[in-house]
Amino acid sequence: MRYGGDNRGRLLIIVLVVTSLLFITLDLRGVQVIDGLRTGTQTALSPVQKFGSWAVSPFRNFLSDVTHLGRTRNQLEKLKSENDKLRLELQNREVADAQLKQLKGVLDLAGTAGFKVVNAKVISQGSNTSFTQTITIDAGTTSGIKSNMTVLSGYGLVGVVKSAYSTSALVQLASDPGFRIGVRIAGTQQIGILSGQGTRKGVVQLLDNTTLIRKGDVILARGSDNSRPFVPGVPIGEVTSVDNSPGAVTQTADVKFYSNFSTLGIVAVVVSAAASDPRDALVPPKPRPTPLPTVTIYATPPTPSPSPTATK
Amino acid sequence: MSLRSFLLSSPLFFGVFLFQEAFVTQLRLPFGGFNLLLIVALIWAALSTPEIGALTGFGAGIGMDLSQTSPVPIGHWTLVMIIACYAVAFFSYGDDNVRGNPINIIFLTTAGVLLSQVAYLLIGIMLGQEIGSIQHILFILAGTTFWSAIISPLCLKVISYLHANVFGTRNLL
Repeated sequence: MRYGGDNRGRLLIIVLVVTSLLFITLDLRGVQVIDGLRTGTQTALSPVQKFGSWAVSPFRNFLSDVTHLGRTRNQLEKLKSENDKLRLELQNREVADAQLKQLKGVLDLAGTAGFKVVNAKVISQGSNTSFTQTITIDAGTTSGIKSNMTVLSGYGLVGVVKSAYSTSALVQLASDPGFRIGVRIAGTQQIGILSGQGTRKGVVQLLDNTTLIRKGDVILARGSDNSRPFVPGVPIGEVTSVDNSPGAVTQTADVKFYSNFSTLGIVAVVVSAAASDPRDALVPPKPRPTPLPTVTIYATPPTPSPSPTATK
Repeated sequence: MSLRSFLLSSPLFFGVFLFQEAFVTQLRLPFGGFNLLLIVALIWAALSTPEIGALTGFGAGIGMDLSQTSPVPIGHWTLVMIIACYAVAFFSYGDDNVRGNPINIIFLTTAGVLLSQVAYLLIGIMLGQEIGSIQHILFILAGTTFWSAIISPLCLKVISYLHANVFGTRNLL
């Protein structure tokens, strides 16, 4: 027989639902007690997560090795050839040193970004059941990290610090559907808004309908007031395709992020921006195609020799 | 009696919450992974009365809201979990065809995970949360449903055992 429920049961459900609605209202209104509850939980959980990260890492590495077996072999081959190349380059170091001195002068003139950063290890990846893309890092307010700070990897933008706790911080990845950032295109300086899509690809929408965007254009962070949440000039990704729909008000394009969010291990949080905007100085250099050596072979057909004839 | 039993079950949920936060979130599983607390709460609710189911949903929802990776206001998951656990308990309670068959419980749990995520999305939209592209949502929904269908049978036996001990129905196992 199906459960019909009684008044006491109904009252309990109503009380619980009302309580949860009260929590939502209090949280949305920014009541300190609710914020404190979450912060307190995170402070208490941080050591447990660090232990979990340490305990799970061998298993995770094993899984990663198994999944990337073919790639690892290719990488080994690539590293071997790179090693040989580096040996050769080391021998040419004296020549390179002289060139480097000249190059340094040029680079100093052009200026570099000069961000002050705090390095951190990724200790947890956000649960996808909440339809968000986040990571947790093992550095927090004690290391000078505050909310709304830019987070970088070796390749470019990773995301922004959403919440900072004493020894950890929650980072919203650039791939998160709720992520928005003002961007500009390197070179042309056209501006637009990039939004995450839940994958390694983002969508950039230009603000001006008279400008053009092309495949291969590099997207950089435009920067925010006082460089928070975003410092200017950080490379974000490269345009992979452009939507040229005739009815569209503004142009949109797909952007592939430089950072691979699924393999993040070490990240850096920008705690202090450069004194001046680095502009396009951080645009990664385009890979140059290696010329293939070619050999031209000339072949001439053999001339037929007269065959001797038999005489009687 | 019910409240006492509910309080007795809280260490289990606290342990599951810690395990989820410390270990499960470290595993970079394909198709988005799973939420163990959500699965355990739904199985527990499927074995309980609707009132205990709602209380379980409330407790588990609070835990999910307190998770560091939860971007939503506290109470969002709580509301979803109260409704989901109550619904699961309501459908299974008093029907031995459902409760006596592990496949039915696994089906209820998996469907519960899927529907609770859909409810989470709908409430999120009402609260102004960004949810991303339809393709991404479908991918995550399919992934969590897949993982729930795998994880539920693995922990069903343990949870049934613990549930029977907490509620004193071990002789019925």
